[in-house]
Order: sequence, then structure tokens, then C-alpha cells
Amino acid sequence: MPEAVGFFTDTTVCIGCKACQVACHQWNDLPAKRLELNVLSGNSYDNTGSFSDVNWRHVKFIEQFSPDANRSQAAWLMMSDVCKHCVNAPCLEVCPTAAIVRTEFDTVYIQEPACNGCRDCVGACPFGVIHMSERTHVAQKCTFCYDRLKVGLAPACAQACPTQSIKFGPLNQLKKDAKTRLSQLQKQGETKAQLYGADDTVLGGLNSFYLLLDKPETYGLPSKPKVPSRSVIGSTFWSIFTGLLVALGVLFRFRERAKPEVVPGASGSEVRP
Amino acid sequence: MNYYVADPHWSWEIVGYFFLGGIAAGSYFLAVLLEWFGTEEDRPLARIAYYIAFPLIIVCSVLLVIDLDRPGRFWHMMLKSEVAKQAMAEGFPLSGAGWRTMLHAPILKQWSPMSAGSWGLAVFGACAFVSFVINVWPERWPARWLSKSWPHAILQVFGCAGAFFLASYTGALLSATNQPMWSDTVWLAPLFLVSAASTSLATMLLIARWKNVGTLEARERLAAAEPLALGLELVILGGFVFSLGDNLGPVLMTVRGNVLIFGTLTLGVLVPLLLLVRIGHNRSWSIPAAAVCVLVGGLILRYGAVTTPGELLRRGPMVADAFSPEEGRAIGQPGADVGNHGAAIHSRSKLPEE
Repeated sequence: MPEAVGFFTDTTVCIGCKACQVACHQWNDLPAKRLELNVLSGNSYDNTGSFSDVNWRHVKFIEQFSPDANRSQAAWLMMSDVCKHCVNAPCLEVCPTAAIVRTEFDTVYIQEPACNGCRDCVGACPFGVIHMSERTHVAQKCTFCYDRLKVGLAPACAQACPTQSIKFGPLNQLKKDAKTRLSQLQKQGETKAQLYGADDTVLGGLNSFYLLLDKPETYGLPSKPKVPSRSVIGSTFWSIFTGLLVALGVLFRFRERAKPEVVPGASGSEVRP
Repeated sequence: MNYYVADPHWSWEIVGYFFLGGIAAGSYFLAVLLEWFGTEEDRPLARIAYYIAFPLIIVCSVLLVIDLDRPGRFWHMMLKSEVAKQAMAEGFPLSGAGWRTMLHAPILKQWSPMSAGSWGLAVFGACAFVSFVINVWPERWPARWLSKSWPHAILQVFGCAGAFFLASYTGALLSATNQPMWSDTVWLAPLFLVSAASTSLATMLLIARWKNVGTLEARERLAAAEPLALGLELVILGGFVFSLGDNLGPVLMTVRGNVLIFGTLTLGVLVPLLLLVRIGHNRSWSIPAAAVCVLVGGLILRYGAVTTPGELLRRGPMVADAFSPEEGRAIGQPGADVGNHGAAIHSRSKLPEE
């Protein structure tokens, strides 16, 4: 059985070069969808804007300015985002066709021939990772370069990253590296530095986890993503309770009305329903 | 509220399925109640309810298939495609090996509402079909035998269970996501359930009146149950609104959120209650007018519930910004339409805590 692998993305050394995005497009033969339109988003250097069916990696550019009129202080955070390959993956949990599976490398993979395009996974993913392909009409997301893993290669994005912001390797080793790096930063005075997804507090753990310099929301990451099935018990309980009330109520109404009642002043044999 | 998700773009097909599925489920349930606990006068009304349930389920199935991005693969909901294809390659249904492989093909993920719902819909559809046949051709042999024997009672029990499931799982399906509003409450399922009861009663009242089915007393019995269902819907709607907590503010900043809450409340509950309870049955138009309002309200409920998260995502944290104007807007990005797209927008946004 192969070892569980993952990504550790150290956002402190990301330079926003987008080599990871290019490598992902190149290896997976993904088109540059908006190239022909030559559209600039106006949002910093981010012109792909978000994850999409053809953008399985997305480099975020987060410009922060102080609230004073001169914007005297500025910070620029960059982060290469990707599918988190969650331990308790919401997409895998809800997929009714079992098209989404966990691989032998502990990554989450969409088997395209089985997907029927119900889009339940799109709604379930708390990170907005999964999108429907306009070409094949099935769900699309990072495959963790499953084809490369099978032959012992690192995923294309990690291979291309020039600053080793995206580190690939066995999960246990990556987590040790992440803790070491975090303590190093904290010693340097980066008090807001934190790991996201390295422990089991976020969906049981993320196989692609991050070192952040601000709170998760700053990077467009939910602080408390939910496992979809957590609501099923509550919904079921209240539904049964309501169903019983409806059934009993309607039943009593029917029986009450259906009972024959004696017409006042009439003879004993004269009844009406 | 999670603004970082992608919109699954469930639209009119799903709205239609939730609405018609609720009516079908409620009608079947009422039909069984009328048959078991009603009088002989109620029989024609029960028959009408069976006539409603099965055709609507067919329409619902078509809507669900149309909604899929790959409609030809609808059967993947119930069978593992690779196993089924292997069984076909092994000669299913003409070979033993094919059958043995096919036995491993069915897929049911009971913790996934969509997977469980597919089976629930199939079970309910089968029960509704048999009941439909029994009522359309009551004199034919299988119907004559079935209608007077215990298998029919068992079928009705399964049908009622399927109806209950169908009416409520649709709400659970929405809650079992990470979409804003849907995932912040568990009250959508009971709300859809009680709405299924009120809309099915309204449908039966309208059809019974239009086709002049059943006696006046029998129809009054149905009409008498409607205020009860509406009263319960009012309570559950209150529970739904209360369960949103701090997230209610952003929901009310959307057009569809207002349609969901105030549209359902006024047109779907209060106006028909007023027509039925205050104005009473002595006016010939009050019951049909109330029934039409209930149906429109039921449709509004589904429309609002299905489409509000999409609007929340399109407007992004701006809806939340309305509650924190000092900190809530990213500098240089006023009014940007970001949805899950822009971390930059989120960077200085004060989002309500979950």
C-alpha cells in the first residue's frame, strides 16, 4: 500500500509566479479559457479569478492596506490554492454515484466515466473547488496528478514551484516540516502565523494544508467548514416530529368530521355524518 | 455563513421537482388516510389523490433527469456504472455470471440524501404506480385481487413511508451541503414536509371542486384539515427563521431571501389562513382562493429556498458588509461581485461567525 501523500503550501514564500497554474494546465491539457477574451479582472494580478472547470489551481493575490487615507501600510499575501483532498471529504460523502473515490495515495479523485453531473459535490465542497466542465459536463477538480503519482512522479504544480511554497511528500513528514516552519516564524515575531488543515479540526484534516499569515477568511478559506452529513440527523428528527404532527392532526380532523353526530331535537334514529 | 463555495446552479427543474414531488407525496398520504379512516363518501377523493400522485412522480423523474448535466447517465444514481457495464459484458440478463455481477451493482449511500432520495423516489414511484393502476382499472383481475387483500395494505404502508421520505428529504438534501443558508439550518426538511401537506390538500380541494368529485361534506373535511396544516407551517417557518440566527440578516438582504420568508409567510400561510378561518366556508370562493394561494406559496417557498444561496454567493460578503460598514469593505473593491472568487475581497471583510 503506497504511503499517504499531500501538499504543504507555505504561503510565506509564495511569490505569485503562477508557475503551478501553468504546470497544472500543461500537464492536464487544460485550456486557457479566457485568453481569447484578453480580459483583466482588475483584482490585483489575479486574472483567473477563482477555481473553475479548467483552473484546478488558483493563485490568490490578497492586497491589504491600512485604513488611513494615505494607505501608509500595505501587505501583499499570495497563496496557491487547490483541492484540499480532505480526510472527511464532503464531495466524496455526498456523491450519489460513487464517482468520487479515495485513491491508494489517500487523495480524492473524480472518476469521470461514472459522474452523471448531478452537481451535489459542487454544493457540498466548502472551498468552491469543484466545477462542472462545459465540454464534458462532468465534475472537475485537481486529480493530485494521479497519473504522475502512479509512476512515482511528484504532481506537476509542486514540481514547477520555484520557491518550494508547494511542498509534496508523505503526509507525516510534511506535518513535521510544517510545525518546524511555524515555530521558526513565530520566533521571528509572526504572531498571526498559523497552520490550516494540518490537524484534524478542519474536516478531519486536509491532505493539502497551509501555513497562513492571517486568519483563514483572509485567504478565502472557511474557518469551520462542515461535513454535510452532520445535518442529516437533525433534519431527520425534526421531519419525523413534524410528520407525526401532520399525520395526527389530519387524522383527528378526518375522524372528528366523519363521526356521526345526533341532530339536536331529532328522533334517535336520525343522524347526519 | 460560508461565502467561499461554488454555486451548484440548481434551478427551475429542481424547484419544480421539490414542488410537484411534495404534492405527489402529500396526495398519496392523504389518499391512504382517506381510505383507511374516511367514510364511503371519501372514496372518490382518495381516488383523485392516487390519480394525482403517480403522474406527478413521472413528471418529477423527468425533471430530475433533465437537470443532470449527463442525463443519459441517470441510472448511475442507483447502479455502479462500472459494475453494471461489466455485468452486461458478462451477458446480463441471459447469463448466471451476469446476474451474479449485477447483484453487486446497486449503490445506496444512506448518509447521502441524494443517493437515499433516488431509492426513496423509486420505492414511492412503484407504490404510487400500483395504487394508480388499482384505481384506474378496479375491475381487472390484479387490481381486484390487490385492492381487497393484505398486500395492498402493505403497499400503502410502504407508499406512505416513501411519501413521507420524499416530502422531507429534499430539504435534508439542501441542508447536507456547505451552501450559505442551506447548511445553516436543519429546518428546511420539516418545512418542505408540512408544505407538502398543505399544497397537496390545496390541490385536492381544487380538483375535487373543479371535477365535482365527492360530497360537499367530504370536501369540507379536506378543507377543515387545511388550516391545521397551515398553522403548523407557520410554526415551522418560524423555527426556520429562528434557526438562521445571525445569518438571517444577510438572507434578508437578498431579493430571493425576502421572497422565501415574506412571500411564503403572507401568500402561502397568512392569506389562506385568513380566507379559511376568518372568512369561512360560507363564501363559495374562499376555499378555492385559499387553495390557489397555498399552491403559489408552496412554489414560492421552493423557489426562494433553492435560489437564495446563489444570490448570496453572487453578492458575496457585500450582504454581510451591510452590518459592518466600517470594516466590511475591502479598500479598492467597492461593490465588487465576487462570490467565491476573490480572496482579496474577503481579506478585510468582517463575516458573521458561523
